[in-house]
Amino acid sequence: MTFNLCLFPRRALLLSGVAAFATGLAATGPALAQDIAMGGTLTVAADTEPRSLNPAIVASNGVFYVASKIVEPLAEMDYETGLRPLLAESWEGSEDGLTFTVTLREGVTWSDGAPFTSADVAFSAMQVWKPLQNIGRQIFANLEAVETPDDLTAVFTFSEPTPAQLIENAMPAVTAVLPRHLLEGQDLGEAEYNAAPVGTGPFVLAEHKPGEFYRLTKNETYWDDGKPYLDQILYRVMPDAGAKAAGLETGDIQLTAFSAVPLTDMARLDALDDVSVIPGGYEGITYNITVDFNHRTEELSDPVVRKAIAHAIDRDFLVDVVFLGYATAATGPVPPTAGDFYKADTPAYEFDVDKANAMLDEAGYARGDGDTRFSLRLRPAPWFQQTRDTGDYVRQALAKIGIDVEIVTADPGGHIAAVYTDHDFDLAIGSPVWRNDPAISTTILYQGGLPAGQPFANQWGYDSAAMNDIIARGQTTMDSGERIEVYNAFQDLAMEDLPILFLTHFTFITVARDEVQNVANNPRWATSSWADTWIAPAE
Amino acid sequence: MQRRGHEAPAARARRVMIARRLRLTGPGGGALGATVLLCLVVVGALAPWLAPGDPLDMVARPLTAPFTDPRFPLGTDQLGRNVLAGLIHGARVSITVGGAAAAAAIGVGMVIGTCAGFAGGRLDEALMRVTEAFQTVPTFLLALALVSVLGASAANVVIAIGLSSWPPTARLVRAEVLRLRGADYVDAARVAGRAPLAIAFFEVLPGALQPVVALIGITVGEAILVESALAFLGLSDPNLISWGGMVANGRALLRSAAYLVIFPGIAIAIAVLAVTLAGDGLAARLGLTGVR
Repeated sequence: MTFNLCLFPRRALLLSGVAAFATGLAATGPALAQDIAMGGTLTVAADTEPRSLNPAIVASNGVFYVASKIVEPLAEMDYETGLRPLLAESWEGSEDGLTFTVTLREGVTWSDGAPFTSADVAFSAMQVWKPLQNIGRQIFANLEAVETPDDLTAVFTFSEPTPAQLIENAMPAVTAVLPRHLLEGQDLGEAEYNAAPVGTGPFVLAEHKPGEFYRLTKNETYWDDGKPYLDQILYRVMPDAGAKAAGLETGDIQLTAFSAVPLTDMARLDALDDVSVIPGGYEGITYNITVDFNHRTEELSDPVVRKAIAHAIDRDFLVDVVFLGYATAATGPVPPTAGDFYKADTPAYEFDVDKANAMLDEAGYARGDGDTRFSLRLRPAPWFQQTRDTGDYVRQALAKIGIDVEIVTADPGGHIAAVYTDHDFDLAIGSPVWRNDPAISTTILYQGGLPAGQPFANQWGYDSAAMNDIIARGQTTMDSGERIEVYNAFQDLAMEDLPILFLTHFTFITVARDEVQNVANNPRWATSSWADTWIAPAE
Repeated sequence: MQRRGHEAPAARARRVMIARRLRLTGPGGGALGATVLLCLVVVGALAPWLAPGDPLDMVARPLTAPFTDPRFPLGTDQLGRNVLAGLIHGARVSITVGGAAAAAAIGVGMVIGTCAGFAGGRLDEALMRVTEAFQTVPTFLLALALVSVLGASAANVVIAIGLSSWPPTARLVRAEVLRLRGADYVDAARVAGRAPLAIAFFEVLPGALQPVVALIGITVGEAILVESALAFLGLSDPNLISWGGMVANGRALLRSAAYLVIFPGIAIAIAVLAVTLAGDGLAARLGLTGVR
């Protein structure tokens, strides 16, 4: 029973988590070859069963979780060096930002035996990343052509200056390379390839039994000699969180990622001898919880109301109760895991209900019947327990400042249509992802003039010339230091205008049985290749 | 009723069997059921005074164990919401939604059954085919589909349950009306020149009502269960607390805080049993035990 743990769960759980993480690292260090046990099957839980496994078209974590083992990007994130070369051996952007030259790895073949060349990179960039991919469309908007002077060189040319830093930061998520020889001339949206991808990665898809499992087997011709260590990865489709927790205990599954086990079960699982709760390995895909304001609603177009709402919400309470300590209170749209980009001293709205009430009184929103100033409809994103719980909390918090909130629920499709296409909401609880650079998936939450229907973007009705200007400057500033300054200004303005309110940042948690080695050893671990993952034999 | 091949008769038989084992059938059981039901209604009606404030508010330390803190006798859930307050306010939702949905179902069923039985001919054929069409879809699936389309609010849940649970009433009323429409007093009304609709609803229907009474218990009981099941699947009004929703919320913590599931589960069981017993008792008192 864990009742007594919960007063200060953050400290208790994080400490034990860090301890587990540290042991994990110690075991993983620069292990000698003879220490690593080869072979074996790693059985993990899959929460969702994406229809398409093509990471070059759908850059989402659900797809990456399986597909990143099969199809590789040019580079992967790394704790020490920032970026670790995969298919690219080196890269360099020109000073004017108009070209970006990538030198590819030699001796790489597709799992069907065909050689991997710069033509594959050019095909992927021009035919897939730029026109089709949800994130690539932004990053490569100004990509004009990819020249291939030889088989191992790809030169990206841009019509407008594009910062090398942005491309580098985007490489892990955006640049999964597809085989041109299998796909050229096909309708990529409908290609059979999407369900049975062929890649250069350490594993190949052997079998997908819908509703049951994906089975990945070792790619015997993988370019990194000696890897992968595992023979097989089995993804068992298990939508029920309780079943996953039980599976970890019995050993039926060895690992769950993306906080697939209820947070409330973490303490119990961590207390088991052979299971560890590992909070690291998601820094490059930090999630955020936001309150999205619809500026078309008269009250919410008033910055005073938005700021009063910010004062009325206790972020620490959310961190402690909804996230059981597995989150941090937000200071702005960029999370602390972002390193240099993060700015801590942005305009802040401390939790102060009296102040919030005074602000609303002063602005003329008098309390009417039943102490209510006005009513709003709130749509919490339905996909996480935490987004729904945050909705419940926001409803309660706003009641204290005389704003009556009615919660409206819908299934994921209905929610996306209502918020991002029909703008049929007053408040929404969102969960945007931080992807390693503000220009990838963060500034788009603030950019004005986007077409209705573009999801996870500014559909709030906010359009500020100053904000648009900062965002545009960030996209064409070449110098890394200057870019950081531009994005510091962006964070200040985001908090000053407060078009949306960032509440918390949270990274997911992996729960693994202790025999699984090299877990969480890069900032996108769950969505990386797992070429160096291995299973310690039972002692 | 023999065409109704899905859950209701079996579930009902189970409930009656449990009641028999507990020696709760008959007038004694009816009185017990009625008493419990009355208590639930009173608790529901007095909810704002018994447990002031919004039961969805996070008021205390999360996961306070039951029977440890006198202010929260049944403990708190993972967000610090008072379980007892949830049960009290949940009674209100379960009974109002269950009652209203059952009333809607019985109302629709009576109108359709009377029209079909009294008019006969093509209208009867048409209405009965429609009834059968509804009966081919399990009640719960139909309610689920309706709420998904209409949106999750208390009114829509009532509509959905009402629209999916009326066929048994319609068939029963039709059979009774068919039996009565040739009766002498109906002929007398016809000879006296009363309008057909007036005869159907003021002369025939009252005579057919008694067996419907026997259906009230089962219909209300079913409506409460369907409402709980919808709430369990997250398809009830998110602004109201509901027993089914509480079970769903506690499900993830079954291993570490089972009381979050057990208390609302007991509440649902008690409410449904009370309604069934009260319905049976009423039917027995009216001498209708053979009708079903």
